Amino acid sequence: MKKTLLSFGLALLITAAANAVPSDVTYAEGDVTTRLSSGKQQDTSIGDVLNTGDSVKTGQDGQAELDQKGVTIKVSHGTVFTLMERSQAGQTSSVMSVALGSIRFRYDKLTGQEPMVRTNGAVAGVRGTEFSVFAGADGSTLIAVDSGQVTVQAEGKSVELASAEGVEVPLGQPPGDKFVVHSDQIDYSKWNGDKLSAMLADPIAALQSVQTALTGYIKDANDYSSMLKDYREKLLAEQQKLAAIRNEKGKAEGDKYASEIVSPLLTQTINLGLNMRFSALAALSLRRFVGGRLYLFMKERYIANVEDPTYTDFLAQYDSLLSSFEQSIVPFLVQADI
Amino acid sequence: MRKLLLAAAACAAAMALASCASLQHSWDQGNVETVAKLINGGQSAKLAAMSATPFLVDGEVVTLKNDIAGFWEGIIKAGYKVEGPALGEAAPVTADSYKQFADTMEVKSFFAEYVKKDTRVLELRTGAGGRILLIIRDSWFSKTIQGFKGPF
Repeated sequence: MKKTLLSFGLALLITAAANAVPSDVTYAEGDVTTRLSSGKQQDTSIGDVLNTGDSVKTGQDGQAELDQKGVTIKVSHGTVFTLMERSQAGQTSSVMSVALGSIRFRYDKLTGQEPMVRTNGAVAGVRGTEFSVFAGADGSTLIAVDSGQVTVQAEGKSVELASAEGVEVPLGQPPGDKFVVHSDQIDYSKWNGDKLSAMLADPIAALQSVQTALTGYIKDANDYSSMLKDYREKLLAEQQKLAAIRNEKGKAEGDKYASEIVSPLLTQTINLGLNMRFSALAALSLRRFVGGRLYLFMKERYIANVEDPTYTDFLAQYDSLLSSFEQSIVPFLVQADI
Repeated sequence: MRKLLLAAAACAAAMALASCASLQHSWDQGNVETVAKLINGGQSAKLAAMSATPFLVDGEVVTLKNDIAGFWEGIIKAGYKVEGPALGEAAPVTADSYKQFADTMEVKSFFAEYVKKDTRVLELRTGAGGRILLIIRDSWFSKTIQGFKGPF
């Protein structure tokens, strides 16, 4: 059933994609690659246009700059950045996702419809003109505002940041206390190195944080899937009713019914499909760039000592995480997502 | 006379097949030995240069080049050695090859999207009785490692 819903959702998303705001690559240096939503990978060049679902990845010597209709996005080295889309309050809106690394955002002007920025563990509503987002190896987020305002949300708690303020959000937890900072005072390599060391010092606790965040995404994906199923049934019933009205009462009555009843229902159904996919892709990002990397780090560390209890305990816990992902998120993904 | 010609042709075909199989075996043997030698020699940069992106480690699809380089560097730093390497099973990839790594949608998609048909799954047997699986694409001009599983 989930696969059927997914096909239906994807078909609807093609319509929704028309609302997406593309980003132009205005600068690329060093190792910068683009992964298109189709799954195809290619080197990133100046002049490329990125659309919803496309990702930019920079290597250790790579950096890029994108322009999204007046928003300048500076992608630093070692970063994974994806353009996503979701629905909020009935409107389709762009979401800029930072799975790993650091990005600086600068808005030339504010329109009141700024795209949301997300990491694996937090979302930021933008009312600021210049701020930086840092996404750590353990899924932690650090946001520093240089000018304007940004609202940071995680686990049901919000923090309002003004100029020269920052906040850290540990994965699976609400934002901490805000502090005074300028983004150029933050050394991402050091901050991320500290996060990585802490994660490897207690890998089980790190996995539990991933599991907590994953559980949230699973719940969201299932809720949207369930609502999508109901709306799809309602939509099909209304479409049949519309056909009957057109036959019995003529085109004018049919068009009125279509615009008043069927079109709004179609939009709501599309939005539910968008959000279902958004939750699943967010879970994939978490699984790959936090959970999967932790697995890799642990394998490197214990490959010559696979019987070590720390490693065997970790593997048992990791299998359980993979099992939840496979059962609850994979049905919402397609091959090109991988 | 005709029977003799047919027998000679069959014999030649059998010899050609045997020689192809023997050549393939020797390539496979060379490939597992190369990977083992590079690991044992601490040649992480060479291993990284030979590795494709994305890369498969057990059931994990690794999509960042730095992580792949870090993986080779990390296992060498941990003191991992492949003692007494020998070629075990070797076969071209099939629709079911993904199951040797992990029976998941992610690994199945990795094989479907990124592993070409002329690629081989090679089993590297170690002197201590361990096994490693390698996904290797070999041509006259380049050798690419696409995946690593083990030791198990």
